[in-house]
Amino acid sequence: MARNGSATDLVASGAFAGVAGGLVFGAAMVVLGVLPTVASLVRVDSPLVGFVVHMAIAAVIGALFAVLVRHQSPGAGETVFWGLAYGMFWWYLGALTLRLVVLGQPVQWTVAAAQEAFPSLLGHLLYGATTGLVLAWIRQHDSDRAGAPPTERADTPVRAGGMLRGAVAGVVSAWLITAAVGEQYGPLAVSAAMAQRPLGTVTAAVFGLGILAGVGFAALYPRAPDAAGPSLVRGAGFGFLLWVVLGLTLVPLVEDGALAWSAQAVAEVFVTLPAYLLFCVAVAAVYTWIDRVWRLLFTAPVERADDEGPGARTLRAVGRGALAGCVGGLLFTMVMAHLDLFPRVARLVGGSSAGVGLTVHLTIALIVGVSYGLLFRRQTHDLAAAIGWGTSYGFLWWVLGGLTLFPVLLGGEPLWTAEDAANSFPSLVGHLAYGAGLGVTFHLLEARHDPWWVPRGAAFAARASRRRAQMESSAPAVWTLVVLMAFTVTVALGGAG
Amino acid sequence: MGFVVGVLVGAVIGAVVGYRPRGHAAAVGSGVLLGMLAWMAESLTLLPVLTGEPVTWALADAEATFPFLVGRLLYGALTGLGTHYLLAVLTRTKLASTGASVPPPTRRVVVLGGGFAGISTAQRLEHRLARRTDVEVTLVSDSNYLLFTPMLAEVAAGALQARHISAPVRALCPHTVFHQARVEAVDTDRQEVRLRRGDDHPPEVLHYDHLVVALGATANYRGLPGVAEHAFALKTLGDAIRLRNHVIGLLERADVEPDPVRRCRQLTFVVAGGGFAGAELIAELFDLVHDVRRYYPRIDPAELRFVLVHSRERILPELSRELADYALADLRLRGVEFALSARVAEMTEEEVLLSDGQRMPTCTLVWTAGNQPHPLVAELPGRHAGNDALAVTPTLQVRGVDNVWALGDCAAVPDVTSPGEFHPPTAQHALREGRTAADNIVAELDRKPAKPFRFRTIGLLVALGHQKGAAELRGRPFSGLLAWLLWRGTYLSKLPGAEKKIRVALDWTLDLFFSRDVVLTEARAVQPRPRVTSPEPDRTR
Repeated sequence: MARNGSATDLVASGAFAGVAGGLVFGAAMVVLGVLPTVASLVRVDSPLVGFVVHMAIAAVIGALFAVLVRHQSPGAGETVFWGLAYGMFWWYLGALTLRLVVLGQPVQWTVAAAQEAFPSLLGHLLYGATTGLVLAWIRQHDSDRAGAPPTERADTPVRAGGMLRGAVAGVVSAWLITAAVGEQYGPLAVSAAMAQRPLGTVTAAVFGLGILAGVGFAALYPRAPDAAGPSLVRGAGFGFLLWVVLGLTLVPLVEDGALAWSAQAVAEVFVTLPAYLLFCVAVAAVYTWIDRVWRLLFTAPVERADDEGPGARTLRAVGRGALAGCVGGLLFTMVMAHLDLFPRVARLVGGSSAGVGLTVHLTIALIVGVSYGLLFRRQTHDLAAAIGWGTSYGFLWWVLGGLTLFPVLLGGEPLWTAEDAANSFPSLVGHLAYGAGLGVTFHLLEARHDPWWVPRGAAFAARASRRRAQMESSAPAVWTLVVLMAFTVTVALGGAG
Repeated sequence: MGFVVGVLVGAVIGAVVGYRPRGHAAAVGSGVLLGMLAWMAESLTLLPVLTGEPVTWALADAEATFPFLVGRLLYGALTGLGTHYLLAVLTRTKLASTGASVPPPTRRVVVLGGGFAGISTAQRLEHRLARRTDVEVTLVSDSNYLLFTPMLAEVAAGALQARHISAPVRALCPHTVFHQARVEAVDTDRQEVRLRRGDDHPPEVLHYDHLVVALGATANYRGLPGVAEHAFALKTLGDAIRLRNHVIGLLERADVEPDPVRRCRQLTFVVAGGGFAGAELIAELFDLVHDVRRYYPRIDPAELRFVLVHSRERILPELSRELADYALADLRLRGVEFALSARVAEMTEEEVLLSDGQRMPTCTLVWTAGNQPHPLVAELPGRHAGNDALAVTPTLQVRGVDNVWALGDCAAVPDVTSPGEFHPPTAQHALREGRTAADNIVAELDRKPAKPFRFRTIGLLVALGHQKGAAELRGRPFSGLLAWLLWRGTYLSKLPGAEKKIRVALDWTLDLFFSRDVVLTEARAVQPRPRVTSPEPDRTR
């Protein structure tokens, strides 16, 4: 009813999903005891009235969500990311703006206000994710019931094989993350307190989380995303979701029986966020590569007629990525030169001069650019997509490179605390600028020679349109979520740590 | 000031977001992202610069400008959504449209020939017309692949697989409409091309606005008696495969042949023409036969004869005398015989007669001694050069005919840097002529002036069998192993696509560890069956 039915059906399904999301958010409000705050919108302080008002708002913005995403791909993964981005957007619009307008208070948009409303942010995220998930389920149910053709169906059904691949990806990622960042940091992907537990418990918890994350990602994406790059960014988004659901909600509920959602409390466990992000990026990468190898080896050619093969266009992608990486690196250079960071970078190769640091920096920029070229080739069709994937990839490298590998290679420990992240804020800006320059340059190079999205002739139009639609399914939500998360969480928690 | 900046930021966001066929959510999401980046550029960077404050990009700055961040996020969302709706209304586009409808092209460029010149033209046209749907590029060729002819001799010698030196036209030019067909006639008055897909198919007509003739050249046997019937050509993959089968088949027969006269005929291999193609082929045949000789124990090495017939006093006239002498001496040292200042006069089933009266009993004559433009070229109107090639202007337009362009082996392209001279028919020239022709056609479509073709030969390379070669790069000579490595490196890099490069590199690597096989892919005795009307271009360099 949601996809092909009437407007009433569409609104009803959205409202139903919104109510489901509202129940989750409402339950958290009950635990936190903040329902009277919601009731104040109608000038009373009864928790019951607050709950009713909250559910009414949840239903309305759920209906609006269904209207907004009605043209997007209806798969679970896509809709959940739209829901998360939508939830975070409504925190800015609702909690930080409209609520104050309704209450007749001045809208300040300050960091203090953001920190004060931080529990509301987490609630909005849970609301968005739940609404997206339920809406996806409704669409799936409707398309199954209507007997829609395969091209119109909501998503590939979740199969045991896919779940198994997800579980394997999770186990491999758990081993990778533990081996890469050390046994004292791997457990952080479960909870901050886990590092103090016995080794057996820690190992079981990390691998258990790996299986959970892998199966969860497989449930959201029964068929792995076509390209590895977008899959990595989706992994980061999934890691953020898992951090909110598991690290900030379920684990504290189980361990302490309470929700510690205040900005100060979350800042204390911020150290687990990079672990979750890297963990789930690894899960997404391994899951996608297993899926691709599986398809390569065992899928009949008839089912992959549009695949060019992993070796096609590789050299061009490498060349374009190298050039784009240099352009992005020059943008980043401005930040680094201004902050005099080159001598520090030079220490990676045992040097100390700015010249050596600049050379090392540009070499890294080039290598990361090549990796972008290989991972994101033929994935952008306009500047917005180029900026979106580029900045998201830049953010990933801030977490992996700036906060993790760089300090570790210099003999230190990962900079995973809220305070460390706050101190690395200039590096975040530089990485995002690098990503934007990288993405835009790579896109322009592709556009110059092979703009696949321009339908040259009717024979190509349908294929280009199908491919473009597939890419736009949740991509804007993923970029927006990742970059919003980077700024919002770092800014809001940096000062609270 | 703030208002102006806001309008500018909004304009940038609107321009980048544009109309999103897939809906409002994508527009909002993109708007939010761009709003955030605008805050980064505006509040964290430009504002401090303009106010003389130090730029630190520190968290303190972010916290201080947090209200602007929230403002820009909401502003970006509204701008993205607003732009989406505004453009949808202005262009009267249905919001849910997938954008799949494409207006039909109004003009058509037809390229005849799938050799280096034709493919290069089509690729360049694809590139230049990448965003235009009003022009359709169509390519007609009777083979559906581009043949990398510099490596054809190695296919004939069994060192490379045939498919590895050819690339499908459809992969090389994915946005070109391709017709695998034979061109029968061109009507330049009606601007039409008549083509036929097969003998049992009716002819079809293609209209063109611009026609590119890149049909290449075919072997010219000059009416010599018996040559067209009995000599092998080396123009196509089929020719190379037939030649290899023929040579292996002769070895099979000679191994059990008791008659010494027949054995002599079977074991004598003659190549006519001492240019690049001939010199490379005789060296490759020499290597092939000696590499597989151990399978044929009854063949005495002294019985094997390899003869190169050349009409001039020295082979490889394109190279300097020093290099040509080196090549001659090297091949002679290995056992290749030369009949210099002599021409093939006649061939029968049993022997080749030379112009100096010499008779050579042989079953194998490979003709590389002369080419002529594709037969269809002679039928085209417009001026022709002495060898029947189409006379073109420096901008590659056929003289005397509108909207027809010619290039490659079938055209006499004047060298603007040397009046009275013409560019040689080599691959490096054909590739660049194709690009110039495409650029000039686009200029013509846009009513802009065309540019003349200018190019100076980069170098000449010839492989003389295993680990020997001769090369001249910008006048500098190279010989021996270095030249051979240059040959391999250069042509490997010029092969179209990474896949072909890897496959050929693997072939060469495996060749180091295993000897060539002697599998006959055609069981019966092989006949030369030279292709008189092959449209494939003659490319030896």
